[in-house]
Amino acid sequence: MKMKKVAYPYILWMAIFIVIPLFLILYFAFTTGDSQNFATFQFSLDNFKRFFTPTYLKVLGRSVNLAFISTIICLILGYPLAYIISKAEPRKRNMMVLMLVIPMWMNFLLRTYAWLTLLGRNGFINFVITKIGFKPLELIYNDKAVLLGMVYNFLPFMVLPIYTVLIKIEKSLIEAAEDLGANKIEVFSKVVLPLSMPGIITGITMVFIPAVSTFVISALLGGNKYNLIGNLVEQQFRWTGDWHFGSSMSIILMIFILITMALTSKFDKEKEGGGGGLW
Amino acid sequence: MHTIELKNISKEYNGVTVLNDINLYIQENEFLTLLGPSGCGKTTTLRIIGGFEEPTKGTVLFEEKDITDIPPYKRQINTVFQKYALFPHLDVYDNIAFGLKIKKLPKSEIDSKVKEMLRLVNLQGFEKRSIDSLSGGQQQRIAIARALVNEPKVLLLDEPLGALDLKLRKDMQIELKNMQKRVGITFIYVTHDQEEALTMSDTIVVMDKGRIQQIGTPVDIYNEPKNAFVAEFIGESNIIDGIMHEDYLVEFSGQNFKCVDKGFRKGENIEVVIRPEDIEIVSVANGQLNGIVKSVTFKGVHYEMIIESKDFEWMIHSTIMKEVGTEIGMTVLPENIHIMKKVRAE
Repeated sequence: MKMKKVAYPYILWMAIFIVIPLFLILYFAFTTGDSQNFATFQFSLDNFKRFFTPTYLKVLGRSVNLAFISTIICLILGYPLAYIISKAEPRKRNMMVLMLVIPMWMNFLLRTYAWLTLLGRNGFINFVITKIGFKPLELIYNDKAVLLGMVYNFLPFMVLPIYTVLIKIEKSLIEAAEDLGANKIEVFSKVVLPLSMPGIITGITMVFIPAVSTFVISALLGGNKYNLIGNLVEQQFRWTGDWHFGSSMSIILMIFILITMALTSKFDKEKEGGGGGLW
Repeated sequence: MHTIELKNISKEYNGVTVLNDINLYIQENEFLTLLGPSGCGKTTTLRIIGGFEEPTKGTVLFEEKDITDIPPYKRQINTVFQKYALFPHLDVYDNIAFGLKIKKLPKSEIDSKVKEMLRLVNLQGFEKRSIDSLSGGQQQRIAIARALVNEPKVLLLDEPLGALDLKLRKDMQIELKNMQKRVGITFIYVTHDQEEALTMSDTIVVMDKGRIQQIGTPVDIYNEPKNAFVAEFIGESNIIDGIMHEDYLVEFSGQNFKCVDKGFRKGENIEVVIRPEDIEIVSVANGQLNGIVKSVTFKGVHYEMIIESKDFEWMIHSTIMKEVGTEIGMTVLPENIHIMKKVRAE
């Protein structure tokens, strides 16, 4: 394929900010030594050996598990929401989309901090609970708080792509299905759902990837005791200073995401041309 | 027994009346066309029969049973949609089999029925093709096959040929008509193309502004338009004011003419319709009317000429060409003079 000249700046951009950093991470992952001193670097597989021990695998397992559950919850909450929005009359529809998007204009950290003041030991919810005479609850620094944070932050990323696909489905297709004898449930299962698959795949991708690699949500709502793979990577770079181990964990996470996404897109048997999927 | 009967159907959208007291019955095996300009209510009428719209007033009867409140999926009626509405996520086979699978027919039966349909629409071997790999004409046939495979009692067609080019449209008109005769079911066809309606229909229902203007066979509609709208809409016509002096005698353009109409009041103001091809060009001496050729346009089979007489501009279709500026005589046979009751101008 012949490349146009206008493409060169973008190729340069991609090389500098995507390809080179990727190779650097690969390089760090397969070496050991003092991270601040290139002279000490040596080729080694130790980082990977170190990762494949129960301690770290457990963290990976927990991360994947939480990301998986939050993706499922987002899908269960998001699909009906997207469906309802897409069925609303245009004016209401725009309003609802706006309501969904407005929180995203606020800083991600701020939004997550807000939950601290709600869920904390002396937070608003516990304040109300103790006022009416009950003992305060442990609402924060556990799995459920992290899940809540993930679902809250990532739900729009599930709703929007599904909504976009749903409003593009032509009304005449639904009428055609009804005309051919399909009742409401059959119309949904045989026409609407298959046609919205590309949106679902995109939604899953856009929720699962940030969820599996997040470290902010788990740090704030999970407390220090609650580690996910994202926190481990962050710790290696910020506190421990072992960039090599941090890089290898990033690579493993990347490969993991890649495999997951490949599997997800396999479910989308219909090779719908450019329906909004990332694959 | 009427297959479908519409009784006093009215439809309003947000206070705007789109259908006004429609009464219509459709017989078994009839090819009936709803014809009219866009916005006349023909598609709404079709959608009410299909169950996609509810009438504001009135009832829809199907074989004498009230189906006004029955949802589309429970009606023994199938539709060919304007833009075909084929399912893009299914291949040709699954599109046609859609209705049969919903009815949970055994696989072998579905198989043979789909094959038979593909043969009927002349697309054998297309089972595994995807919808977007088909041309407009092929998609059209699949849409028809998908509807007909369910063996409906009535097939609704909403401007199904609108997206096809002229040549293909002409072929499909004949093919559709043949198909209707072969499968022997009622077709209700919506179009704004008067030629299409004349070619295919047993009965034409001309609609305008939410009302039925005339119901009749193509020949009736063409030769005996009930009012000026029908006359204008179906082909070209000359419409001129006239006075009915007595039965079989009409005056227009300052001349008395013999005609074949009767039953009007003496001296009643009426409108006269004369088709452009019914006016004969003769010598000035033999003409009932005289006029000067104002313009000539070549139309292929005939010339279209505008003739200016003392109080009217006549349109003539003729294979004989007269130069612009020549004076000619014109005659009309009594049976080609159509008298219409005068409706107040809008």
